[in-house]
Amino acid sequence: MTVFKTFWKIVNRYKFTVILYTVILIIFATANMQTSDTNTNFVASKPDILIINNDKDEKITENLINYIKNNSNIVDIKKDDEAINDALFYRDVNYIIYIPENYGNDFLDGKNPEIKIKSTGDYNSSLAEMMLSRYVKVANIYLNQTKNEDELISKINDTLKENTKTEVTSKLNTDELSRAVFYYNFLNYSIIAGLVYIICLILSTFREEKIRKRTIISSMNYKKHNMQLLISNGILSVILWIFYVILSFVLIGDVMFTSHGLILIANSFVFSICALCIAFLIANIVSNKNAINGIVNVVGLGSSFLCGAFVPVEWLPDTVLKIAHILPSYWFIQNNEIVKTLEEVNMENLKPIFVNMFIVLAFSILYIIIANIISKKKRKIA
Amino acid sequence: MFIHNFKYSLKTLFKNKSLIFWTFAFPIILGTFFNMAFSNIESSEKLEIIDIAIVDNDDFKSNEVLKTAFEELSDENNKDRMFNTKYVSENEAKDLLDKDEISGYLLVDGEDNKIVVKQNGINETIFKYVTEEISNNAKIINDIAKREIEKEAISGNMNINYEEIYKDALELIQNQDVNLKDISNKNLSYTMIEFYTLIAMSCLYGGILAMASINQNLANMTSQGKRISVSPISKLKIVFSSILASYLAQLIGVAILFVYTIFALKVDYGDNLLLVILLGIIGSLSGLSLGLVVGTCLKTNENTKTGVLLAVTMLGCFLSGMMGITMKYIVDKNVPIINKINPASMITDGFYSLYYYDTLDRYLFNIISLLIFSGIMILISYVSLRRQKYDSI
Repeated sequence: MTVFKTFWKIVNRYKFTVILYTVILIIFATANMQTSDTNTNFVASKPDILIINNDKDEKITENLINYIKNNSNIVDIKKDDEAINDALFYRDVNYIIYIPENYGNDFLDGKNPEIKIKSTGDYNSSLAEMMLSRYVKVANIYLNQTKNEDELISKINDTLKENTKTEVTSKLNTDELSRAVFYYNFLNYSIIAGLVYIICLILSTFREEKIRKRTIISSMNYKKHNMQLLISNGILSVILWIFYVILSFVLIGDVMFTSHGLILIANSFVFSICALCIAFLIANIVSNKNAINGIVNVVGLGSSFLCGAFVPVEWLPDTVLKIAHILPSYWFIQNNEIVKTLEEVNMENLKPIFVNMFIVLAFSILYIIIANIISKKKRKIA
Repeated sequence: MFIHNFKYSLKTLFKNKSLIFWTFAFPIILGTFFNMAFSNIESSEKLEIIDIAIVDNDDFKSNEVLKTAFEELSDENNKDRMFNTKYVSENEAKDLLDKDEISGYLLVDGEDNKIVVKQNGINETIFKYVTEEISNNAKIINDIAKREIEKEAISGNMNINYEEIYKDALELIQNQDVNLKDISNKNLSYTMIEFYTLIAMSCLYGGILAMASINQNLANMTSQGKRISVSPISKLKIVFSSILASYLAQLIGVAILFVYTIFALKVDYGDNLLLVILLGIIGSLSGLSLGLVVGTCLKTNENTKTGVLLAVTMLGCFLSGMMGITMKYIVDKNVPIINKINPASMITDGFYSLYYYDTLDRYLFNIISLLIFSGIMILISYVSLRRQKYDSI
């Protein structure tokens, strides 16, 4: 039991590292928790728009503003140039419409007055621009037909009324599920930076030259020594894994109790095993604690950035994803992403998930083999 | 003495591998990851051609307006092309939707249009929007044509050219010119903020160098410090030359990062390179002063000092948007005071204002804030460093 006890003493010394990465996980998981109503009716995407009206209270101008208001989220921002420009840069608002002075009258006179806009250039702003141009077009057309302001307004509104029915087929609770997937994707970083890091540190403590020399000449069989180390490491990984799973139940809730949640949990277990093997490999390659810190950070951040733990997978360039194939994190995260789109759980749908899990396990075996080869070469010390 | 100590301080710093890794190599590695992960975000937010299907039934075939409009919007040679349209049967459309090959499909049933989509989203909204606009246009054409026909009828013209009237109405719709003027700034790439926080991080990490070299001169930290303390030389000279050496090392690190981000990662710092360099120099100074304060005021071992410095730096970078760009905006908007005293945010905001704004007010404000910050920090460490005495160590 000596090795076992020593192991947990060292774990206790590094508990703050685990706490740190857990706190990071909680912060990012909760930051992504904005709840929105789940319903199966169609909800149109609404761009965030800011309207700066320099015109007086003309009816025709009011009508334009109302139309935009009904089809977008009007953002409330301090009316000063710097605040507005900052909001546009940080995408707090997608589209800004400056209605010029005397717009209503100029419009009724048929002058087609110029409207200044600011746009972020993304798809939300494209939608906003479609909205604005559609209104202006319709208004201009009917201006040719009638000069009566009230008649004009009612004509415009009548034309712009919603006339297409929309039906949504998917009944999947994508909102909650994508939060769960985000959490489990982010777990990639917490597991590598937290679990792998402390296991490496502990193993390197056991490998310090003086301690190792003492262990080798002691009466304890090296097989027993290694077995105890292995068991303690396994227990530590399982404890951390259970802790993270419980945390996911607390943070995400309902969806974790479904079969989708179960797959996510199983998948993270397979990855924890792999993380343990990664730790073994790193601890076998380097024994300097400062170097371990650097390597684990680079591996943790690198795999998280390249495989889609931080940035959604669909936003990553193809070349980056191709490179990511050589990392087990990629297959772990791919599995989470499959769960997100899984409509029903049956054997056929689960097949790719099992394949990916198998690949992660294959990586683990590979790491263990390499670690053993390296440690065999390093075993003799003068 | 000054040059002697300067030279050896520099040598000691560059011999320390883990120090050099964290201050020189780590920001470059992180920058490379940023570049790989973020290079696609902004282009993937641009509107792309949307894959849709239309149920090819008789009602659709007879609806001339919808048919021509969708044909035009799906035309590969049209520069305003929006859709990639497949004309299929209803069952095939369902199948395509199931396989996620299309965003949705349109089903025309008599006068009614129905759109079937799998989920809510921007592509789905645009599809619906365009369909509505097209059927609106049909309504407008009918409206105008009816009016024209009535006019002709009243004026007694029995020889009405219906085709001509419809064609005119269609032309009227197509020739509508919307008078919009885009006055937004062209430098709108918000992922640049990530790289600015990276420079800020590198500047502040440089504080570790200053801390390491000041530790060499502290009697309670190293035996070299003890020897220096009892030697009959000007302490100011020794401390100053050590700090200068660490500042030089720090500037080399930041300069390498600048070169790497500009030439390899193509980061855009705006047009005014001199001001960018000035900000880098002053930002490094603030990092150095932070390192000095941590090095001199905390009376603990080197590991704890490094830990504190790293924690402060990472917290500062977190608040200035390194782990999520909107973080900086949220803090700026709600509790601006935090980012006014956070050096990482001052540096980031300085680069941001050079990149995004044409005027220099905000840039200068950040530069002055950084100078004040550094001044205060250096003053604190000066006070705590002078006249140190130890009865026993």
